[in-house]
Amino acid sequence: MTTPQYVYGVTRADATLPEDVTGLDDKPVELVADGGRCAAVVSELPQGRALGERADLVAHQRVLNALMDAGVVVVPFRFGAALADRGAVEKELLADNSERLGQVLDQLDGRVELRLKATYVQDAVLREIMTGEPEIAELAARLREVPADAADAVYYDRVRLGELIAQAMERRREHDGQALLEAVSSKSEAFVRKSPAREEDVLDVSFLVPNDRREELEKAVDELGEQHGERIRIRLIGPLPPYDFVPEA
Amino acid sequence: MTGPIAQQTSGSQTVQRGRSGSSLADVVDLILEKGLVIDLYARVSLVGIEILTVDVRIVVASVDTYLRFAEAVNRLDIAHDGTSQGLPQFVGGMQESGAKKKTRGALEGASERLKETFGSSDSDDDEDDEKQTARRRSSRKKEDDE
Repeated sequence: MTTPQYVYGVTRADATLPEDVTGLDDKPVELVADGGRCAAVVSELPQGRALGERADLVAHQRVLNALMDAGVVVVPFRFGAALADRGAVEKELLADNSERLGQVLDQLDGRVELRLKATYVQDAVLREIMTGEPEIAELAARLREVPADAADAVYYDRVRLGELIAQAMERRREHDGQALLEAVSSKSEAFVRKSPAREEDVLDVSFLVPNDRREELEKAVDELGEQHGERIRIRLIGPLPPYDFVPEA
Repeated sequence: MTGPIAQQTSGSQTVQRGRSGSSLADVVDLILEKGLVIDLYARVSLVGIEILTVDVRIVVASVDTYLRFAEAVNRLDIAHDGTSQGLPQFVGGMQESGAKKKTRGALEGASERLKETFGSSDSDDDEDDEKQTARRRSSRKKEDDE
């Protein structure tokens, strides 16, 4: 059999796949095992086209989510891994790595990834800045007096105002982000903090959470929401496959 | 996000929780940048598959961001005066949605790109996701106008 196999991840050899889970192009998902500790979660690789359509990413995530929801521990692979055929999955992927992959499975078993994203409510944080930083409020007030038809003349002043606001927001972010993180991180086993993508982002962090501590962590996040809801929008995304907690190499 | 997932409702009204309200945008960076890379881990002969997805992060240009803040603060002050009801508030509302459109995040930019390039035929999409697409499209339009 020489059909290239797309690999979603690796699980234990004795795992049972949830029924009806389909992969890329809705192809059936199967386990390939070599008799060792681990089995690869695969489906046939779609032929004759490049991968990376939205539906492909969704399928990758769907397969891993389905395993996780069924309580099957999995080492999630990054999108885009495929081997020549089932034989290659057995001989090249599993045979030499079963032991190491098995250890990773042990570390991830009974744990999920939860991702917390916190973003400032724009109007609320702008009001805070206007109230707390007279220099910025003054510049804003001055620019507001400028008639619309003269707006071009103060273009650089407007840029400057925005820059000051962005800086003020960053100072707040350092403080708020750290406070949010500290309130939750103790409920997790590990965390990975990501650099915020936008000025309004306060915190973007993924936690590795043992199942029996998940409720506790969610409660801590809820409390944060109650404390900061007016000014910071908090989302807790997941449970996700533990992408952030697999070895780098 | 999709699939046979039990919906989890949030325990508090202030925190949005679970997968139901999240979109591909919330995880696309994980799928593409995280997870085990088997050619690093194992010496295996991966099939050379062409991956379409690039540019996961689209950095928001600084000046654009600054001007957006300046505009938002200006609008904020007008709304605060209390002297100008009616039209200015209405305009303020319009600007608000405009500004928010432009803030749609870097990560969503990636799925936008995917959607726009390849179309969204994903029937699993929830309604919220569709709305986001519409917003993102109009956001792009707005930026093009400027």
